Formats: sequence, C-alpha cells, structure tokens
Amino acid sequence: MVRTVFKGLVAAVLALALASVGYAGTLDEIAQRGELRIACQTQGPPFSFVDKAGQRTGSSIELCKMMAEEMGVKVVFLDYDWDGLIPALLAKKADVLAADMTPTLKRAMKVAFSNPFMYTGSVVFMKNDSPLKTLEDCKKPGLNVAVLLGSTGETDAKNAFPKANLKSYKGGGPMLIDAVLKGHADFGVNDGSAVTGQLANFPPNSVKILPGMLTKSPLAFAVRYDSMDLLEWINLFFLHASLDGRMEKNLNYWVNTLDWKKDH
Amino acid sequence: MLRFFNFRVILDYMPLYMKCLWATIWLSGVSILGALIVGTIACAMRLSRSRSLTGIAGCYIESIRSTPLLAQIYFLYFGLPSLGIRISEEVTGVIALTLNSGAYMAEIIRAGILSIPQGQTEAAIATGLSYPMRMRYIVLPQAIGATIPPLLGQAIVLVKDSALLSLISIAELTRAGQIMISERFMPAEAFLTTAVLYLLIYYVLKWLSERWQQSLIFRERR
Repeated sequence: MVRTVFKGLVAAVLALALASVGYAGTLDEIAQRGELRIACQTQGPPFSFVDKAGQRTGSSIELCKMMAEEMGVKVVFLDYDWDGLIPALLAKKADVLAADMTPTLKRAMKVAFSNPFMYTGSVVFMKNDSPLKTLEDCKKPGLNVAVLLGSTGETDAKNAFPKANLKSYKGGGPMLIDAVLKGHADFGVNDGSAVTGQLANFPPNSVKILPGMLTKSPLAFAVRYDSMDLLEWINLFFLHASLDGRMEKNLNYWVNTLDWKKDH
Repeated sequence: MLRFFNFRVILDYMPLYMKCLWATIWLSGVSILGALIVGTIACAMRLSRSRSLTGIAGCYIESIRSTPLLAQIYFLYFGLPSLGIRISEEVTGVIALTLNSGAYMAEIIRAGILSIPQGQTEAAIATGLSYPMRMRYIVLPQAIGATIPPLLGQAIVLVKDSALLSLISIAELTRAGQIMISERFMPAEAFLTTAVLYLLIYYVLKWLSERWQQSLIFRERR
C-alpha cells in the first residue's frame, strides 16, 4: 500500500517536472496553439458580461477580440470569479487576465501589468432615500459599508471611512447594490464605472451615487512574469488602438456612457 | 515542492485564521445544537399519530432536503428583506445551518428509532409500559447509540457547509483563505491552511462523538 502511494507520488512529481520544461515564449505558444486564452470575469459589466442575447461581451472582451484578430488566432474566454482571476493566470489556465483590475503594487508582486487602458475611481453609493447625503455623513462611526472582497474599493473604503464597519462580499458588484438596497449595509463603495453599469439592471432611481471619486486609479490587463513578450505586445496594441481611435470608441461606447444598454 | 510554499506568510495570517476558526466553531457549534433540537422535534412530529403534525414535519424535511443550502441562505439573506424581515449575517447563518441540518438529522433519528425491532415495543406494551416510558427506557437508549455515527457525519457536513456563509460576508474559515488569496495571491498556502483547520475540527468532533458513544456503552453495562 505504502509503496503504491510512493510510486504514485514519484510519478506525479515527474509529470510536474516534465510539464514545466520551458517554452520558447508565450507569443510563440499562442501562435502555435492558434488560440489566445483570456481569463475574464463572469459578471462585471460593462467590462465583461453575458448580454441579454446570451453573448459574452463588454469593453475588455471587445478589446481582447481585437487583440486576437491582430494576432491572427482564435480567442477563448474563461469565466472566473474575481478572486479566481489571478490564480487562473498563475496556474497557466489563461495567457491574459482581462478585467477592470487596478495594477496595485501588491498585485504586481505576482503578475505583470500592462500599461493602463483607462483611469477610474471608487465611488460611494447608497439608497436614494438614505439619510446620508455627503461624504462627511458617511464618515460617522458604526455605519456598515458593503465592499467587494479584495477589490480596490475595499482598500479605499478602509482609508476613507476608518470608523465604518466593513462587510466584504463575493460574487460581483450587483451583490453590493443588493446588500445596500436590502438594508444590510448603509452604503457601498465600488468602482465608479462598474456601479454605473450595474445600476442599469436595478429599478431606476433606487440608488444614488455621491458625486466625486474617493481615488483615481488606473485599469490594466495582466500577464504572468514569464510572458514579458506578450506584455510588450499588449502595450504596443494599446498604443496602436489609442492612436487609431479604436480605444476611444470602445471606452466611449462601453464605459463613459450607457450607449451599450440599447444593444445588449 | 516545499520551496513553493511560503510558511512565513501563513504565520503572518495566523491571527486572522484563528479569529475565523473561532467564528466557524461557534457558528457550527450553535447550529449543531440547534439542528439536534430541531431534528428531534421534527422527528417526533413525523412519528406522531396526528396527521397534521406528520404533514408539517414532512413538508419541512422534504422542502429542505430538496433545495440547495446556498439557495436557502440567499433566500434568508436577500429574499426575506423584501418581505420586511431583516436579520443579521450571523443569525441568518445559524438559522440556515440549523434548519438545513435539522431536516437531515430528523431523518437520521427517525431511521434509528425505526431500526429498533417491533417485538421490543410489543414486549414493552405487554409489560405495561406507557408510550413515554417505552421511549425513555427501551427505544431511545438503543436508537441513540445507533444514530451517533450518522449524526457525527451530519455534524461534519454542517461544519463544511458553514463555508457557504462566507458568501454573505461572514468572516469564517473559508473567508480567511479568500482574504489571504485576495491579498497575497497564494491559493496553495491559503486553502491548505484552511483545509488543515477544518481537519482539526473534524478530529475534535470525532473524538467527542466517540467519547459520547463510549459513555453510553459504559452506562448500559453498569
């Protein structure tokens, strides 16, 4: 029995060692494989989501489709929960992590971030009939704040509302809005573009967003540190897309306005 | 393999793990006790002669056993506020786990009671014992011994199910792992630590149930 287990372990270690024998480069590998694999969020409008017609779409998704087209390969999207994104990338399930992720220094200890494709910030939102009217009101001690576990909003909320009681949720921004609407939290803190996008699915005028942002932060794609060739390529793609206007068109349609609501 | 494993970070996160381990222990502990009580009551109702009591208990057991726990938790947490009932996360968690496990425990206890041969009841009736006395001295002492292992199994399921409470923002053991992953991106270290701590709870529960079973045997011999 012990010997069988031992044999199995040896086989597993050997298999791991063989699997980790190096490749020429991630770009070569993508070209050879014929597909670009993207880790994206299951529900994160307007960056990545499944629309009414059941199609996967969103700002980041469309950018990735453009990237694959420029590379001349097929694109494959892998759905993950927010927390699953970086582990999936590190486990080589995907080549690129395409989400509305802020390249924090902490995250950059694990993954390599591209140049930012846009800037965003955390906003504060609450029920429309909430007694909280200003940022100062929100700083009162003992209030419950809904945030997403591990998000930039969580950090921003900790800094901006040190006396508040943080409730961290998992499962995407709509859950925060739900928690606020159902009274489990007094207000929520999350990325501005995400909140604006997600509010479209809730009854109109049920939620108000306080004007102004808590912080301004960049958003970027990420790759593994062993894919620096791919990173160079993505940065170059962002440069080209900015110069020929595709980036602006994409962001204006998806992020800066609610134009996409009509079609998706 | 060990060099991929960062024990220093695990150590850094130990205070968080301990806090969350305690949350898992008290949430599960209260829920296990609650589930035993709810389970016993539901079982008694199901075995009673009253049609309506049997019906109510059957309804409860069937509806709990046929729906996923996650749906039950979400219903209590996000659904009930729409009906004007808002309860805190911890209370929601304890209620959900208690109601869920209670249904399974009711069935386990019922199976234990039904496993006692009919002849013993008949003999007890012949000796002139009343229903409560029959239950107290003949059926239950034997049934409890037989139900301890499956009840322990259900208690362990409950402890593991408490991981779902992380989804309604309760900081328990699984959430500790999630926090560590979201801050340090070390899924191997984070979830292995979580798993080891669950294992620890399992062994404590197993030890307790063995002690309980031993004491029952001892009392019978005496």
